[in-house]
Amino acid sequence: MVLSRFWYVLLGLLFGASLFLLHIASSMYNRAGLRARAEGLSADAQVVSWYLRDDARQRSAQLIPFALESDVAKYLQKSNESEAKVPEDARGKLTQALQRVSAQIPKDAGFDSVFAVDQNGRVVAYVGYEQASGMEDFELGGYPVVADALHGYVRDDTLVLDRMYRVVARPVEFDLAAMPAGAIVGARVIDDRFARELSQRTGAAVAFYANGQRAAAASPAEFNTANLDAIVGDLTDLEQDKDYREKGRSAVREIGGMIAVQYTRLPGEAWQLGAGYAVARMPAAVSGPLGFFSKADDKDKKAGNLPLAILAAVLAAGLGILFSFLEHTRPLRVFKLEAAKFAAGTIEQLTPSHFRGLFRKIASDVNDGVDKQLAKGGGPRRGPADFKQVLGDIPDQPVMSAFSLPGDAQDSAASAPGSGAVSVPMNSAASGQGAGRPLPSPPGSAPRRLPRPPGAAPAAAPAAPAAHLEATMPEGGLNEWGSGAADESEWHDVFRDFVATKKQCGETVDGFTYEKFAERLRKNRDALVQRHGAKRVKFGVYVKDGKAALKANPIKE
Amino acid sequence: MKPPFGQRLPATSGTRWGRACGWVALLTALVPASAEAARLRGRVDGVRNLLNPVWAEARDPKQHGYSFREPVATVRAEFRRLFPHAPKEICIAALAPAPQKAPPPVLVRVGGGRTTPVTIVVPPGTRLTFQNTDPFKHRLHGVSIPTFQPADTVRGATREWSVPGAGVFEIRDELAPSLRMWVVGDPNVAAIAYPSMKGDFALSVEQPGEYTVQAFFAGKKIGPALPVTVKDADLDLSKTPLKLADEKAAVAADKAEVEKAKSEADSDAKQGGEK
Repeated sequence: MVLSRFWYVLLGLLFGASLFLLHIASSMYNRAGLRARAEGLSADAQVVSWYLRDDARQRSAQLIPFALESDVAKYLQKSNESEAKVPEDARGKLTQALQRVSAQIPKDAGFDSVFAVDQNGRVVAYVGYEQASGMEDFELGGYPVVADALHGYVRDDTLVLDRMYRVVARPVEFDLAAMPAGAIVGARVIDDRFARELSQRTGAAVAFYANGQRAAAASPAEFNTANLDAIVGDLTDLEQDKDYREKGRSAVREIGGMIAVQYTRLPGEAWQLGAGYAVARMPAAVSGPLGFFSKADDKDKKAGNLPLAILAAVLAAGLGILFSFLEHTRPLRVFKLEAAKFAAGTIEQLTPSHFRGLFRKIASDVNDGVDKQLAKGGGPRRGPADFKQVLGDIPDQPVMSAFSLPGDAQDSAASAPGSGAVSVPMNSAASGQGAGRPLPSPPGSAPRRLPRPPGAAPAAAPAAPAAHLEATMPEGGLNEWGSGAADESEWHDVFRDFVATKKQCGETVDGFTYEKFAERLRKNRDALVQRHGAKRVKFGVYVKDGKAALKANPIKE
Repeated sequence: MKPPFGQRLPATSGTRWGRACGWVALLTALVPASAEAARLRGRVDGVRNLLNPVWAEARDPKQHGYSFREPVATVRAEFRRLFPHAPKEICIAALAPAPQKAPPPVLVRVGGGRTTPVTIVVPPGTRLTFQNTDPFKHRLHGVSIPTFQPADTVRGATREWSVPGAGVFEIRDELAPSLRMWVVGDPNVAAIAYPSMKGDFALSVEQPGEYTVQAFFAGKKIGPALPVTVKDADLDLSKTPLKLADEKAAVAADKAEVEKAKSEADSDAKQGGEK
């Protein structure tokens, strides 16, 4: 059992070590995940910032065709000359010019809205901003981005108006010796389309927010965009973040254990309005050792080398089974076979040298126990008594004349020794076809004593049919055999019972006399008394296999 | 001829009606006092030497107002100074020696990232009507003014507020940081006017007498106070323009600003290099 036990201990140690390692691994994984997530979020935020700046620069370049369009400068200058009201023809011509130039700009590089603003800050013409339809006094001159453009600067801004806009503006010059005639302003709405475009180009999950609401969101395919809605509940606490308040970029914040987010203010007026964007990533953490299973994707599972794991498991299980077989099953089987031989009497005792370990000791103890019991003369045998073992070899029919009739020798021979019962056919040869034919027995009938039939003649047995004599210990014990006397006076009763039973069983009793019967009983009694030292033998009648039979009970009193 | 207070209403049907009512009320108030108003014509000079405080603040990189801001080479440097838009931001007031009666409600347009006018000088008790001319809402409020708390004004809607007393009151918009307006409460103001882009202005005073012409910008007095005596006839002050700011001072300020920006840029570069 040493190998098995060693193996169990080893397996236990391996299991414990595996569990410990898994806990360590999950902790390390979570810590590394946190660090990687923070770095990833910072990278995402930086990339989005760069993208916004680069996008603004690229789009500001798209304003040059507007500024160089002769009609734009011309009609802005015309509008400047009329401080009271924008000339209608200037509006029309400028609108046409804006539409003309807009049509030439590639769609992905263009604007959602373009405004032409004169020196007074009035919007002389625009395209793509239908909210201002019918508003003759619509102007933009107060915004710093437009003012800067009117003063000769090109720059960007983020405005929060009816929606959030990324805006670029540049001056429009009519006379280089004079102040710019006006400014051209291009705006892109920050909506889901904008966010989607940004997400596709940067790979970041990004959401824009303003006025405490999410304005737009988009994310890569593996990220559920709906998760970004969670930032709305976090915005109220955002101003408490020192980094966000002072530097415009928050620390990494985890929302409800679902996503990790980093907020960044948008440049421009939106900065002061608390508008910005959030980049998010799913937390790469496992809740415990088993969390790896739920987190692992197909790629991870492929890298898991499942065949090696299965091979190791099979080898470990095989070794365990082998050790168990060698140290448990095989010795037990050897012991079992040896015990079976011992039980069958093939061997006189168990051979300890055939066994190993504990089984050797057990065999030795069993042998010692048997020897001691034999030295005591053996204990009482429990269970049915073997009549043959008790009586010894019972003589065949010629000897047992009391139980047989002339010509019954062949039937007697049919009753083989060792069958557990001594059968002595009693029917005569004259009975003809009746010989050996069993009488029907009630189904499930057990050996029992039959009451004597009323009026039955005890000795009037004209012909004795085949009778069976069997020594069997009844299940009810010896008490059922009555308190009969030890002399032959009982045998008349036994004879009457036997004859009556034979008749009931349909056997013939012709020629079956008490003398023969008594002589047979006497011989058997003597044999039993001699063999077992019994004081007397009590006989009883019962039915076996549909025929009357006798049972002998040696009594040691 | 412009009304003595306030600006023209936007040319929509609603505002036209409001403007007409304003005119009627103003004429009703002024006609019994005088049969004919005198006009003071004048001119301001040095507007381009001023600096719009809102825009100047927005250009500061520390304000994070942009991700890039670059001058266009073809625009001359003199135009790059962020001088104010005089027709909205320079208020010329005629100050009488005695307190004046509050005029009818004055319309203030709110739109385009600013108010029109940006600075206004009125007697205390003057009611100002703020009208939203943008296609989106504004949320005006007075800075430390209990009677002017933040409230939404949707597209085309108006909001009333009366000047509570003498002093300077600043109006802001919670939804548009660039929007800042200054209301100067002066009991002696008799008339106000706004110069054109060229700097010309015309004040209409109803009563002959001694007045002081003073320019206001961003809630403060700028330039010299010009005393005038108004009689029945119009008065032309163009020959002695109001010099609002000194060019040398402006140039020096610009230089200082450039030097400051340069040193900050160098400092940032140095810090970046160290990192």
